[in-house]
Amino acid sequence: MQPLLHLNNVSKRYGAVRVLDGIDITVADNEFLTILGPSGSGKTTILRIIGGFEGIDGGSLMFEGRDLSAVPINRRPFNTVFQDYALFHHMTVAENVGYGLKVRGRPKAEIAARVAEVLDTVGLGTLGGRYPAQMSGGQRQRVALARAIICEPRLILLDEPLSALDVELRAQMQRFLKSLQRRLGIAFVFITHDQEEAIALSDRIIVVNRGRIEQEGAPEELYRRPRTPFTASFLGDNNLIPGTLAAIDGRLCTVDTAAGRLDATVDGPAPAPGSAVLVAVRPEHVRLDADPAAPHGMSAEVADVRFLGANVMIELFNPALPGAVIKVRRLADGSVAGLRPGASVRLGWAADDAALLQVAP
Amino acid sequence: MKQKAPFLDALLGLVAGIGLIALYAPLLATAALSFFQIVRVRGTLGFAPFSLDPYVALLANGEILAALSTSLVVATVSSLLALVLALMFAFYFVSARRGLGIAMQTMVFLPFLLPPIITGLSLLIAFREIDLGRGLVTIIIAHVVFIVPVVYRTVLVRLQLLGSSLTEASLDLGASRVQTLRYVILPQMRPALISGVLLAFAISFDETLITLFVAGSQTTLPIRLWAMMRVGFVPEINALATLIFLCTAAITFAIGLMQRAGERV
Repeated sequence: MQPLLHLNNVSKRYGAVRVLDGIDITVADNEFLTILGPSGSGKTTILRIIGGFEGIDGGSLMFEGRDLSAVPINRRPFNTVFQDYALFHHMTVAENVGYGLKVRGRPKAEIAARVAEVLDTVGLGTLGGRYPAQMSGGQRQRVALARAIICEPRLILLDEPLSALDVELRAQMQRFLKSLQRRLGIAFVFITHDQEEAIALSDRIIVVNRGRIEQEGAPEELYRRPRTPFTASFLGDNNLIPGTLAAIDGRLCTVDTAAGRLDATVDGPAPAPGSAVLVAVRPEHVRLDADPAAPHGMSAEVADVRFLGANVMIELFNPALPGAVIKVRRLADGSVAGLRPGASVRLGWAADDAALLQVAP
Repeated sequence: MKQKAPFLDALLGLVAGIGLIALYAPLLATAALSFFQIVRVRGTLGFAPFSLDPYVALLANGEILAALSTSLVVATVSSLLALVLALMFAFYFVSARRGLGIAMQTMVFLPFLLPPIITGLSLLIAFREIDLGRGLVTIIIAHVVFIVPVVYRTVLVRLQLLGSSLTEASLDLGASRVQTLRYVILPQMRPALISGVLLAFAISFDETLITLFVAGSQTTLPIRLWAMMRVGFVPEINALATLIFLCTAAITFAIGLMQRAGERV
């Protein structure tokens, strides 16, 4: 099936700085796609390129098979929700929302009807007569959304729209965004640096770092099976233990580390035995009661036990891995009551819960 | 926390007070003298009782009224022309490459900073070279030249404050450049546009030196006032000066209001 939007090998420089380097992105119809990356990763540039606010220096940008690079901003079938909302402060909420129809020369009665409809959709039914300055942050956010959906674009671009909201409002807006996207059936391209937000909202996540795509996939896939050290540490907590690949049997790998022999599994092409690798294992997947007689696994000493409410975070160390803190998360129930700093434990995990990551040479 | 220095504060207050008195006393004296004329009664000087006679005489003076209407026409036309030019310069500046922008910045400002006598003289020579007869048109051209920088400055500050995100939002919603200008940029800049025009109007209305060079047989109000004082002092001069002061004060107050309105947006 032809994708809705296709960025093919796109590059962008600002002067001598290369901000995007051979980016390939496809967006499918109806999809909630998140582009996730730290600040300076180039994610906002990707959004600005799709929106038409920036040109490209290499590659192509196709919409349903048509080249978009020569199409100006105001002729692209996309609308944007800006990080600062960019509402027109001299216009009422209804005028803001109806702006896209007004500049297209639609009749006044039609605009009024559509504005009322869209304001209802975003839950601002009766506030059309207010000015943006009279509204709260969450309400302005909804105005910006209403303004973007009224022209029925094929794709909505959202540039960190929730970053200015407080935690509670954020969670509420996340649920709202997700349900809105399902109801409208419009593709959303959502930019954020917040991995939890990305995981909670997206059908698919593209992780970007330093102008390149690190990895893409469904949230659960990225979380469970990171393929690069960056993805492994940027999405949630991870323990990264360095070692060399000793043996490989199908997906199952054995890794020699300073602290002992560890199990992991690999996705895609495996590195050659003898390569430098990392074993990535989530704090919630590490067992503290592994069989000391088992050939694989490592011993560790408890350094700290931190109570976090529902969870307990246990920090451990192994003298053979200087500077490395191994984190283990457990529910704060009776099972961890006896753990005290100084206690010795044997760590282990299911091979399927540990991802083998290649280290760039 | 701010250090308390009562002596220094008092001294600063005193200096500021003296400064204000020095600035406003002559203006107040002129205003007072327009209502209470000095008369010589049996060899001694004294004040006549309150009277509006000088103002009545002013209204009856056809020459002054003609000069006033010339001044109003010049100030209105030249400040509106300056607004259009200043807007174009400002839009160019925010979109131009840095080097070009700075060069233009200097060029726009130079006529305002040059001594008026130089500007006046250069304009006079230029008009003669192109054979443009001196009159209303040359006065307006001259005024536009030196009030453009003032309007430009006001407009540019606001435009830079607006940033690009509103323009981008408007284009993103399908508006053309012209629609964006009309529905978004200009309305957002309204306070700056009005205060820029008012400021230009006030400066144009009061300008004397450059106007003297290029006026020909036309007379603006300041030139009329100048001419009246050369032939002898009449009470109308006080009245006229008071009126000009009041008008300028009103405009300045309006500019202040506009700028506060601009900050709120």
